[in-house]
Amino acid sequence: MNAVLDQKLKPAAPRRKKRGSFVERTLKTLVSEAERALFAEELARKDGLLQRLDPRVKIVGLLALILTTTLARNFFTIIFIFAVAITLAILSRVPIRTLATRAWLSALTFTGTIALPVIFITPGNVIYHLPLLNWAITEQGITSALYLIMRVETTVTLSLLLVLCTLWTHVLKGLRVLRVPIVFVVILGMTYRYIFVMLDTARNMFEAGQSRLVGSLDGTESRRIAAASIGVLLTKSFYLNTEVYMAMQSRGFRGEVYTLDEFAMRQRDWLALGAFTLTAIIAFWLGRQDSLASWLNFP
Amino acid sequence: MSENIFDVQNITFGYDDLTALSDVSLIIKSNQRIAILGANGSGKSTFLRLLDGLYFPAKGTISAFGEPLTEDALQDDEFAFRFRRRVALVFQNPDVQLFNPTVFDEVAFAPLQLRWAKDEIKKRVGETLELMEIGHLKDRSPHRLSGGEKKRVALASVLILDPQVLLMDEPTAALDPKSRGQVVDFLISWSGTGKTVITATHDLDVIEDIADFCFVFQNGRVVGQGTPSEILADRKLLESTNLLHSHRHTHDGGDIHSHDHLHRFHEHEHE
Amino acid sequence: MHIPDGYLSPVTCAVLYAATAPFWAIALNRVKRLLNTKLVPLLSVFAAFSFVIMMFNIPLPGGTTGHAVGVGIATIVLGPWGSMLAISVALLIQALFFGDGGITAFGANCFNMAVVGSLVANAVYRTIANRAEITSTRRVVAASLAGYAAINAAAFCAAIEFGIQPLLFQDASGAPLYAPYPLSIAIPAMMLGHLTVAGLAELITAGGVVAYLQRSDPSLLKMTALDAPGENSAEKSGWRGTKSLWIGLAALMILTPLGLIAAGTAWGEWSAEDFSNPETREQIAAASLNQMPPSAPPAGLERLSSVWTAPIPDYAPAFMNSAEFGYIMSAVFGTGLIIAFFLVGGWIAKLMSRRNVGASPEN
Repeated sequence: MNAVLDQKLKPAAPRRKKRGSFVERTLKTLVSEAERALFAEELARKDGLLQRLDPRVKIVGLLALILTTTLARNFFTIIFIFAVAITLAILSRVPIRTLATRAWLSALTFTGTIALPVIFITPGNVIYHLPLLNWAITEQGITSALYLIMRVETTVTLSLLLVLCTLWTHVLKGLRVLRVPIVFVVILGMTYRYIFVMLDTARNMFEAGQSRLVGSLDGTESRRIAAASIGVLLTKSFYLNTEVYMAMQSRGFRGEVYTLDEFAMRQRDWLALGAFTLTAIIAFWLGRQDSLASWLNFP
Repeated sequence: MSENIFDVQNITFGYDDLTALSDVSLIIKSNQRIAILGANGSGKSTFLRLLDGLYFPAKGTISAFGEPLTEDALQDDEFAFRFRRRVALVFQNPDVQLFNPTVFDEVAFAPLQLRWAKDEIKKRVGETLELMEIGHLKDRSPHRLSGGEKKRVALASVLILDPQVLLMDEPTAALDPKSRGQVVDFLISWSGTGKTVITATHDLDVIEDIADFCFVFQNGRVVGQGTPSEILADRKLLESTNLLHSHRHTHDGGDIHSHDHLHRFHEHEHE
Repeated sequence: MHIPDGYLSPVTCAVLYAATAPFWAIALNRVKRLLNTKLVPLLSVFAAFSFVIMMFNIPLPGGTTGHAVGVGIATIVLGPWGSMLAISVALLIQALFFGDGGITAFGANCFNMAVVGSLVANAVYRTIANRAEITSTRRVVAASLAGYAAINAAAFCAAIEFGIQPLLFQDASGAPLYAPYPLSIAIPAMMLGHLTVAGLAELITAGGVVAYLQRSDPSLLKMTALDAPGENSAEKSGWRGTKSLWIGLAALMILTPLGLIAAGTAWGEWSAEDFSNPETREQIAAASLNQMPPSAPPAGLERLSSVWTAPIPDYAPAFMNSAEFGYIMSAVFGTGLIIAFFLVGGWIAKLMSRRNVGASPEN
């Protein structure tokens, strides 16, 4: 027993692989994902601009901005919406650090890597030749890479703001305004709930298994364990499903779902809705101005 | 005066090829406090679900409040609403029962399904939350609650209907001593108001507090019945149904011995 | 695989939402009819399951890890329609909470992974497992290949969606507005990653879980294996019953890309000026591809990309070199492959069932 504990406490035990086993890595993902969701709730309870708005206004408004971002045909517009997003973040007391770590950095690494070769392969006006390699960089290539990166950064920021500044239950209720069928909204709510139950199950399963798996595992063995863990979870899902269904029936559920929605649009909600609409219209109009495409002039 | 709440006649029920209950007959009257005793797998949870109209017997009949409780009968909205409102089941695992995003939604779920007026629901949810002393948890998600809190929310979610019959599946399992005490206290005070409580349990320590009459289940059959004191006195029955077991342990003196393991009898003599 | 916002034009997104919607509707109806009131908890629990297994690191040969979407195993256990809905809900939660996949691109992601993935997984699993015993090794092989084929079919759809963006959507200066790589790069680049890493993760998950369930809880595999020996074959119509839907899917896959072009014109997202000289544009692209840095794209990419341009010889009529034609050709070729796959699968299934019918008294 103590030997097992010792092993567990020594992270640099020589028998362990440096990159960590399947179990450890999955555990790490599970824990961090759960913590992220927890953190989101904290920000949603702060007193800021977006937090005070009716969730329906928030969802419609932020979605409109996301849509105009994807519609824009020039940079100026995308940067304009990005600036709006940052302003909203500041007014809603969302730390820029949070945005940077949770959205910007990962989007930049992912999309940046994808966008890099575009600079060289897009046909167009050559503006620079890389020394030695003689690769041609085109104006269109740079523009295209920037389009992709800026669009992704802006939309990611906007959708993150929605999640960070809205309680999950309000997101659910707000979704109904977008004519999402009520069955779907209820399913979504229950899914979220059971993700936590299953994360717990998975975590317990791995933590129990971890002490038995201190040695390094070969690939086949760890693959077998991975598949078996998923199998256990699947069996558990079936059990949960039957039980939950009975718990619902027992309380009068007969296939149709009824919910209690109580949102009242206040003056500031109407004002915000107006502001969102206006911004979206301006951005949409700006986005159609092809003359702005040459706004970024290359020497 | 004491009408029959449940009249169960010769029921048999099985899952696939596994028989869970065979030839069970019993009658439960109003105002009774019943304990269904049995080890794991004795069929007591299944029995509660049959009483709650979630499973239906393959053979035999169940009547509830004088009307037959069948799958067909529950298809009828009026019967279903009447029955669901009068009989409530609290599941053993609160994670199963708490499927709503917040505590408030959870408690409002049952009356919403039964189409109560929205204002009435809001009022009653508030009252029920206060009654269970969980008003402060109103906006919390069930997954952030402790085991004891979850149990109280689960209770609140069925009590809002003010049912006549409460079916409790292992209410004290996996709870810390304080929460366990709270649940027992609740059952004592609630049943004092002219209600019927049927508790499935293997926790012999609480049955005298929560029951006036016991049925002992084993392998899907009723193998014994009587008042709690009669049942507790019948060591042979308790041992044969695995409700009481002997185990070895060490005492201060270092002597190892074995004895019946039941905490309320723990002040035993050592020779 | 989870396409973020900004990679696809709004028109593409709208078309893919529209293409996915009927599948959602059919799936919802079918599952509802089959399960009646049990639909809500079933989908919730399985969407949660799909979400959680998308977070599992599956160890792959060679020391890397990959994530499975779980569409293979979900289809085998729930059937294609249940899987479609469960995966869609899981994708929505991923998009909302973890920024994995965009909101405007949600329809596209569902189309690729939930719809196409589930249908392909179902076809492969049914065809290969065909009436084998629940606990037979054949079912493990069938499941593995079903997962592998499903994820690659999904990746192929995503690649086509990416690849048509630069053709259709450019700004005034000619710079691609969205995903910038043409089909000749998007397809091999996407497929390389999925034929190896992501496909293997899905293969291991589907095959491994089926193997596990055969030992621990074979009853879970029975739901979609009604034609296995000893099972009630009343639902045998599974394959036949969905046949018209396969045709529908095939039609959709052809119409969707055409719809993209039509919608593109209607919206004025690309105009004649942009393509004033498509032949030259294509030639410039080809020329610049040749001077592409060898280290930037994955090795062997050029050779692979020539696979796509090779079928159209230089001496072909001029219109065959136009961008639109090249695009349609690729789309038709791609969808053709998938349809051919289904047809061959259906043919094999029919052949096998006919052989079995000879022995069984009921037909």
